[in-house]
Amino acid sequence: MKDLFRYVPGRSVIHRMNPVTKLLLTVVICVAAFITGNIFVLLGLLAADLAIGFIAGVPGKTLNILKGLMKIAIFLFVLQTLLYRDGTPLFWIITDKGLLTAATVVLRLVVVCMPLTLVLAVTRVSDLANALVQVLHVPYKYAFTVTTAIRFIPQFLEEMSDIMEAQTARGVAFDKARGLRKLGMILPLCAPLLITSVRRTELTAVAVEVRGFALRTPASGYRRYPFGLIDAAAMIVCAGMIVAAVMIR
Amino acid sequence: MIELEKVSFSYAAQGPTVSDLSFQIEQGEFVAILGANGAGKTTTVKLIDGLIRPTSGRVMIHGSDTAKTPVSQRARQVGFLFQNPDRQICKNTVREEILFGLSAVRGDEPEERRTARAEEVLADFGFTGDEEPFALSRGQRQRVALASILAVEPEVLILDEPTTGLDYRECCHIMDRIRRMNRERKVTVVMVCHDMEVVLDYADRALVMACGRLLGDGPVREIFRDRMLMETASILPPQMIGLAQRLGLDGGDTPEAMADVLAARAKGGEEQ
Repeated sequence: MKDLFRYVPGRSVIHRMNPVTKLLLTVVICVAAFITGNIFVLLGLLAADLAIGFIAGVPGKTLNILKGLMKIAIFLFVLQTLLYRDGTPLFWIITDKGLLTAATVVLRLVVVCMPLTLVLAVTRVSDLANALVQVLHVPYKYAFTVTTAIRFIPQFLEEMSDIMEAQTARGVAFDKARGLRKLGMILPLCAPLLITSVRRTELTAVAVEVRGFALRTPASGYRRYPFGLIDAAAMIVCAGMIVAAVMIR
Repeated sequence: MIELEKVSFSYAAQGPTVSDLSFQIEQGEFVAILGANGAGKTTTVKLIDGLIRPTSGRVMIHGSDTAKTPVSQRARQVGFLFQNPDRQICKNTVREEILFGLSAVRGDEPEERRTARAEEVLADFGFTGDEEPFALSRGQRQRVALASILAVEPEVLILDEPTTGLDYRECCHIMDRIRRMNRERKVTVVMVCHDMEVVLDYADRALVMACGRLLGDGPVREIFRDRMLMETASILPPQMIGLAQRLGLDGGDTPEAMADVLAARAKGGEEQ
C-alpha cells in the first residue's frame, strides 16, 4: 500500500507529458465519470485508466490499485443492490435497476480513484509543484502545501505500519485480528501517528524556512515545462472523453 | 535459548538482506550485534522476534519455531525495544502506558495484580505515573517504552539501537537498568548498537555482520581486538582498545590490566 504513491522513474509517453497535462487528464477522467451515467462510457474511462498505467510502464501498480479498490467496490455493489428497490425484481429483493445502478456507482468509484494515484506514480512531486507555479501561476506556497501533503502520504503509511509492528511486538494482536476488531485496535494508535506527524511537519517547516522558502519567486525554478505534441494529443483525448460523456449520458 | 539455523531473508524486489545465518544464544547472555549500516542487524533482530519470517531456514526460541506462533502471542516471552519510542507509546499517562502493555500480554491475570505490577515498575523507574509521555524528553520516553516492556517480565529482551539520540546520562540510565535485568533475572539481551563504547561496557558477546552475513562471533574484547575483522566490517573499535593496541598492550586492554602493564613499565624505566 505504502509503495502505491512512490514515484517510478521512466521515459514513457506519460512520464514525458507536462505535469499540468497529466493533472488535466486526471481531472477530465473524474469529471467525465460524473457527467455520464452510461455504463459503457464508464467502462471506456476505466480502459483509459488502465491504458495510462500500462503505457506508463507501471502495470503491476495499476493492477494493485485495482485490486485494492475491488474490496470497497464489492462491498458497495452488494450494499447498493440490496438497498435499491426500484425496477423489475430479478430474484429475492434484487432488481434490474438496482444491479445497473450498483454497477454504475462502483465503476464510477474505480474510475475516479485510479488516475490521480497513477499520475502521481509517474510524476515527481517537485515537477508537479513547479509546473503548477509556472504554467497555472498558482502561488508557490499553495503548490508546495499540496505537493508536500501528497509526499507525506507514503511516509504516514510507513509510519503507521511501523507503529503497528511495534504494538504487535508488545502483544497487541494485530497479527490475529481482522475487520472491525482490527479497526478498533488501530484507533488508539492515532495518537502516536498524529504526534509523530506534527513533529515531522514542524521539522519540515523549519527545514524549508532555513533554506529560504520565503525568498522563493516563480522564477526560482530552473526547469521549464513547455507543452509538446504529446500534450496536444493528450488534450485531444481529454476533449474526446468529455464529448463522449456529455453525448452518451 | 535462541537458535538460528541457516536463516536467509530478502525483502521483495531486493537481493538477500541476510543470508545463511546460524548461531545460538543461551539464556542469560548479553549479546551485541555489530556492523555498518545495511549489514542486516535490524533484519536479524526482527527475524528473532518473528516480525519478519525467514525465506529459508528457521528461528527457534526455547524450542518453538517463531514462524509458527503469532508475534503478539510471543510478547510475554520476548520484549522488543525499538529505536524510536514514539512508535510504542500510545497512551496519555505513563501509568496507562505500562498498564496497556500489561493488559495486552497478561490480560488473563487479575486487574489488581497488573495494577500492583505497574506501580512496582513505576517506582523502579522513578515515575509518578501521571506524567504525559509525549511531554517527556526523548530519553525519558525511551525509559517509558523500556518500563512498559520490562513490566511484563520477558525472558528475552531485544534492543534495536536503544541509545541512539540519548545523552550519556540517559544512555547509562537505560543500559544500567538492562544490565541489572540481565544479571539478576537472567534475561537474555540481544542488542543492536552503533556505540562501541556501550557495547564494550555492557555486552559479553558480539556478533559481527557485514552484507547480511555473520563474520565474527565471540567475547566482545576478543572481537574488538581482531583488526582485520573490524576493518572488514567497517567498525571502529572503542578508544580503549585502540589505545591499548597503539601502546602495544594487546591482551591488556581492561582499565585494570592497562594500569598494571603501564605501572610495570614505569617501574622498569625507574630501575634502568
